[in-house]
Amino acid sequence: MAKTIIRFDHATFGFSDVIALQDISLEITEGEFVGVIGPNGSGKTTLCRAVLGLMPPLGGSLQIFDCACEELRCHHRARIGYLPQKGVLDKNFPITVLETVMMGRYGALGLFNRPSKRDRDIALEALSHVGMEDRRNTALGHLSGGQQQRVFIARALAQQPDVLLLDEPTTGIDITTQHSVLDLIRHLHRDLKLTILLITHDINMIRSSVDRLVLLKTRLYAAGPPEEVLRPDVLRQVYGKDLVITERDLIIVEDYHHHH
Amino acid sequence: MAQFIEMLTYDFMQRSLLAAATVGAVCSVIGVFVVLRGLAFVGAGTAHAAFAGVALAYLVGLPPLPLAIIFGLATVWVTGVMEEQGRMKLDVSIGILYTATMALAILFIGLMKGYNAEVYGYLFGSVLSVTPDELRVILVLSMVVLGVLLTFSKELYFIAFDQEMAEASGVPARRIFYLLLTLVALTVVVSLKTVGAILVFAMILIPASTAYQLTHSLSHMTAYAVVIGVACAVGGVLLSYIWDLPSGPAIVLLATTIFFLSVLLSPKRRRVQTA
Repeated sequence: MAKTIIRFDHATFGFSDVIALQDISLEITEGEFVGVIGPNGSGKTTLCRAVLGLMPPLGGSLQIFDCACEELRCHHRARIGYLPQKGVLDKNFPITVLETVMMGRYGALGLFNRPSKRDRDIALEALSHVGMEDRRNTALGHLSGGQQQRVFIARALAQQPDVLLLDEPTTGIDITTQHSVLDLIRHLHRDLKLTILLITHDINMIRSSVDRLVLLKTRLYAAGPPEEVLRPDVLRQVYGKDLVITERDLIIVEDYHHHH
Repeated sequence: MAQFIEMLTYDFMQRSLLAAATVGAVCSVIGVFVVLRGLAFVGAGTAHAAFAGVALAYLVGLPPLPLAIIFGLATVWVTGVMEEQGRMKLDVSIGILYTATMALAILFIGLMKGYNAEVYGYLFGSVLSVTPDELRVILVLSMVVLGVLLTFSKELYFIAFDQEMAEASGVPARRIFYLLLTLVALTVVVSLKTVGAILVFAMILIPASTAYQLTHSLSHMTAYAVVIGVACAVGGVLLSYIWDLPSGPAIVLLATTIFFLSVLLSPKRRRVQTA
């Protein structure tokens, strides 16, 4: 029986006047590949911040590694590798690929400890996992969006995490690169035995990769294998009119309106 | 040449060169983090607040340094809280603090009886008149600031690059941010006497921004910034002696010249042009 490493128990998150997630109960076990889906503003990113210990619950509880999330010690945080939503990177920010990945070691090292040869080796190994070791001395700003995404995944791996938390990892990069980033994540899940928590609005992209899907819209509407969650009656509760089902049973939601 | 050697034998000249080099070094290292973290205007606001502290000290007859530190720290911390709460855009809140503290300084000066040349020394900088006691204070405070910067350099680089990511991966990012703000205030106070409240801002920004033009690596950027900062400070003092110019402007204008040269010669610029 696999160990539960993240446990939401009737947890509610938000600010005093705005509830972002309400009454969430969910367990994530070691080695799972979980996809979190839901429309914009459904609380996906809040879920992310909560798991990172950046947002204590207003009610209920959230346990991560047998530790209440509001008490997450810093070395616990290092056990969750995090890929933030792709922001706009200043192309001229003076930082090399290796310097970026080394930052993944800093939290685990703690204050007052300087990075050693060992930390450098861990960072280089992380780079080789994402296939970027040859670019270690390249300026981060000179890389393409997909390559930068790989470097940021390497930074998360350099923390030597148990869990990889990915917030919209395929947004903002071209379609071929999206597939190669997803292949990389599958490879990390399989070969490094990482627990993957992947947040996305792109259901079609991840439906064949995940063990379980979690459907959010402030509340948790469904959690289970993709074939149970991706049913019109389940999805319609969350997406309503935005749900479009094509002949080939592909489900296109929300973005349909933005892109067509 | 003989005249140049002779100049270096004067006590006051040795003191000013040492003071300028130290201030050049500490300003350029803190400048790297200020530029990368986007805190440029915090430096300016702090300088004027610290000057208000100096003016108050002369008005009531207290030693200027402690009051300058108190005013400087109060300003950076208020700024930090404002940034965190995000109630107002940072440039607006700093703009208000900046002018309000300057108004305080002018008020304090206005309340003084007669003209006080020493106060104006802090406004415009007078490195050639640094006393042995002042030099000692500059050296000690600079060592403290540089020591703390070195100790926490990896965390400071991380929050400069991405503060939220730093926090998420286990770095106590908020505390490091306030530490950085505190060090900015101390650096400003250390530099007041040398380059003055109006120009200290330039000493923090210019060497770091010049280095920013020249490299793609964080560690190289810091090394280049220190070399540029120290060279400009020392060069500026020598120029001010040789041509009898005020020292603060000599240092800052020398640094500005090098900055524009770096913009013209930047490899980043070339890359963009060939791309």
